[in-house]
Amino acid sequence: MDLYVAAFGFGLVSMSVIAIAAVGFTMQFGITNMINLAYGEVMISSAYVAYYLNKAGISIWFGMVAGALFGAVFSFLLNRIVYAPFLRRGTSHIGMVIVSLAVSLMIANLLLPIVGYYSVSYQDTTGGLIRAGGIVLTTNQIAIIGVAVLLMLLIHGLLRYTRLGKAMRATAANPTLARNCGIPTQRVVDAVWLITGALCGLAGVVAAMNSDSFAIANGAGFLITALAAAVLGGAGQPYGAMIGAVIIGMVTELSAAAWAPEYKEVVAFGILVAVMVLRPQGLLAKRGALAAAG
Amino acid sequence: MSRFQPSRLVSAVGALFLVAACGGTTTSGGGLGSGDLLVGVIAPFTGADAGLGPAYYAACLAAAPSINSNGGVGGRQVKCQQFDTRGEPADAVPAANQMIAANSNLMAVVGCTSDEAATVAPIIDRAHIPMFCMTGQSEFNKTALKYFHRLVPADVYDAFAMVGSALYGPGHSPYKNAALVFGDDIGSQAFVDPATKSFTGLGGKIAINQPIKLGASSYRTEVAAMLKTNPDVILTEALGSAGTYLKEVKTQNGGKMIPFIGSSATIDPVWFQQVRDAIGIADLLKYYAGVDLGYTFSGPAYAEFLTNLNAAASTFADAPKYKQRGSTLHLYDGIIMTALAMVATNSADRTVYNPKIIEIANGTSGTTVVNTYKDGVAALKAGKSIRFVGAGGQNNFDQYNNSQSGYILVGYDKDGNEVTAGQLTPDQTSKLIAAGR
Repeated sequence: MDLYVAAFGFGLVSMSVIAIAAVGFTMQFGITNMINLAYGEVMISSAYVAYYLNKAGISIWFGMVAGALFGAVFSFLLNRIVYAPFLRRGTSHIGMVIVSLAVSLMIANLLLPIVGYYSVSYQDTTGGLIRAGGIVLTTNQIAIIGVAVLLMLLIHGLLRYTRLGKAMRATAANPTLARNCGIPTQRVVDAVWLITGALCGLAGVVAAMNSDSFAIANGAGFLITALAAAVLGGAGQPYGAMIGAVIIGMVTELSAAAWAPEYKEVVAFGILVAVMVLRPQGLLAKRGALAAAG
Repeated sequence: MSRFQPSRLVSAVGALFLVAACGGTTTSGGGLGSGDLLVGVIAPFTGADAGLGPAYYAACLAAAPSINSNGGVGGRQVKCQQFDTRGEPADAVPAANQMIAANSNLMAVVGCTSDEAATVAPIIDRAHIPMFCMTGQSEFNKTALKYFHRLVPADVYDAFAMVGSALYGPGHSPYKNAALVFGDDIGSQAFVDPATKSFTGLGGKIAINQPIKLGASSYRTEVAAMLKTNPDVILTEALGSAGTYLKEVKTQNGGKMIPFIGSSATIDPVWFQQVRDAIGIADLLKYYAGVDLGYTFSGPAYAEFLTNLNAAASTFADAPKYKQRGSTLHLYDGIIMTALAMVATNSADRTVYNPKIIEIANGTSGTTVVNTYKDGVAALKAGKSIRFVGAGGQNNFDQYNNSQSGYILVGYDKDGNEVTAGQLTPDQTSKLIAAGR
């Protein structure tokens, strides 16, 4: 029983990490209509930015901020320089997916000679160990959970209570109508790439902290997990992505405790497949903050 | 608008034939031919086992100048090329096919780890290309593949040596309760059965057998489950994930490590760096024990290997890190032996020089022992038969092209150099093998 309680605690950490990544990914898709398969590589690039700062003696918490800033700028530039020109030429959705896949491969291969193929670790990111009722977490893992909760509340506040959030929702629902109503949709899209890029960068650093050691090859794994949580919750739905993160994070850890750990991701993705069969639109389709009207 | 002219097509086809004739090489008939020769390094360069390929590529980069600066193979220069399998059999097959189809000048192939050997070795064998594979899989113990060569013992012996380290290793009383933490890849799982049989056969108990998914983002629950079984030692090969797993062990165990014994694949600069960064150098030196083949890291063959490896840094910055990597030494030797076999037979026909490789490795009575390519060529030109004893030491191929040698118990120093910690006696080795069979 102790093991399940401990696994529950670990699940809290996993779902926090996944939630940050998945909410960023799903917002990007929900508002810009772009399935950005380079998301995982932006995450891992940001993780390396934080790594080099950390290696230079800077606290990983500042590294996290730097990773978020890098992710924001990198994503913004990716859209402006690569994706937007293709979209202006009327490239189809599937075409854009292929473009983003190509971008993903290019980033990974450009990074490889710079960062190497081997794993690296942040310094001093463990923190003290806290045991409470069978749950065993480090202070930094608790901080990661705190960061995730804070970010989710900020996203909720942004979408619900700010002019920018409302403009985002309007742009997501119908960009043409939003533009005709006087909403500067191009600036909204720019803001979305900056905000979701920051989430992406921050998620990369948090995921790398969570992994203890990470390598360039982890980018693909980060993307798959974020994508799974986003799809499970309903593509384009931030609240759905949060729920998807909770399910995938918890199931992954609890199944490792209950069954053979080498199959923990198989179980999580099995549930994803089952949900997709029963409810192809995802758990929260047309109910979330970015859903189309009606 | 210009019109298409048939004469241009004829010229283009002619040019293509000319290029093909110059760039390719004949592999049949006598003579060493002309043009560059290629050594294909087929191995994981990306994916969970991405640390393996560079060690093999470094071997080729060190071997090529040994040959090229001494006249090449009948004047032909040796080049090295990577072919990435991603550590996946499904990716390895097209990589092998592409390598063979696009390069008629392949003199040898090196790499082919346990991740992909079962799928690529038959393909390479059908193409009649000598290969030196770094797989420990027991299915190759009695292989019928004529072009397959293995310069390291099967994984079962590696597993027996790890158990030997646990039971008879220096500086500790015999461990009795072991956790087996091996990656879920084919290569790592090959250790589990022989280690279990040998350890339990000699009175030990397996606290937990935990296959772990390589490349997972965390192993928190796995480590919690493992720690609940209170092992006094961890036997492990989880390349690429060792840092993540072991750091979690230290964290959940209140900052204290559990002794861990690694396979010979953990004698690797990348593994050392990952684990050092994850758990700290003090704990790595104190709690780690490994096993390795008994290398001397000295002598003329090793000296030349080391010089060339250091020089290879201009092409591949990490090359010098592999100065004590067993697989790098062995594959270096394999490439040199292949080149000597070509010179000895005066043939670029792989069906002709392939059998000669074993002869040059094992030698016969009265042969001249040589340690470098230069000395080997000189001896051959003097009409002598030779035995090549290279950077990795003597080779003794059996009829299945497997070369066997003994293990030593090792650790690391603070700079990542291998340090010999002890040796298993013949009696201990016999007991381990008998219990593990």
